Amino acid sequence: MDINWLGLASALATFFGVWIGHVSVRKIEREVARIWIPATLALLFGIGLELASFRTSNLILSTICGIIGVTLLWDALELAVRQPKRIKHGHAPANPNNPRHVQILATHPEATTVDVLNRDPRGTPYTSAELNSIKEHGV
Amino acid sequence: MNWFGVLVGLATLCIIGLGFGWVIRGERYLGYLWWPYTMGLGILCVLGSLFISNSWGSVLLGAFGASLIWGSTELKEQAVRGDLGWYPFLEKKKLPPFADVIKKWKAPSL
Repeated sequence: MDINWLGLASALATFFGVWIGHVSVRKIEREVARIWIPATLALLFGIGLELASFRTSNLILSTICGIIGVTLLWDALELAVRQPKRIKHGHAPANPNNPRHVQILATHPEATTVDVLNRDPRGTPYTSAELNSIKEHGV
Repeated sequence: MNWFGVLVGLATLCIIGLGFGWVIRGERYLGYLWWPYTMGLGILCVLGSLFISNSWGSVLLGAFGASLIWGSTELKEQAVRGDLGWYPFLEKKKLPPFADVIKKWKAPSL
């Protein structure tokens, strides 16, 4: 029986595309003040990879470019819209050294510098007093 | 000109979108301790894709398997989001077999 490597190519492109996107969106959005720059770059590289995927006749290459391209397009949306929204809601930690985040901290009472998600599941809901304490002091 | 990769990319986007759904609902009703099972299933899907000669079948099963593996690493964080009240919280979950053993393992989070 012949092995079909297309599935493995698509699995690796999907897993690493999502993983690298997940980590770098958080890191880049945290550090960069002019977020439109990396967002535009992700958009352009995403479009470029889709064009490359369209132009190659090699199915494995076409698959990898198609998937990584789409995850980059999604990353552009995450950088420009979704991650800043998480910062505003306090669902991701604001960076006090990033002027854009300083602005968010001043105008959005829900925003916090604490990484609220950095804990183990405990299986019971937090009370609002506990949530306030986490937001203020991290515990 | 080859639409294959572009369409695969779009299909993968839908599969990843599906991942958001099952991680949220799966965690709410079943709990994050199912992660080794979803991860094992994902690995089986990726291995299975090697033996599917049809291009679309192989590619979709591979992407679906990868998304199952990724989702397994998201379940723990999703459980915290539930605890924090960001998502509807259900105290009574349908725990997996060997839940007490799995509890002692460190759940992956990337």
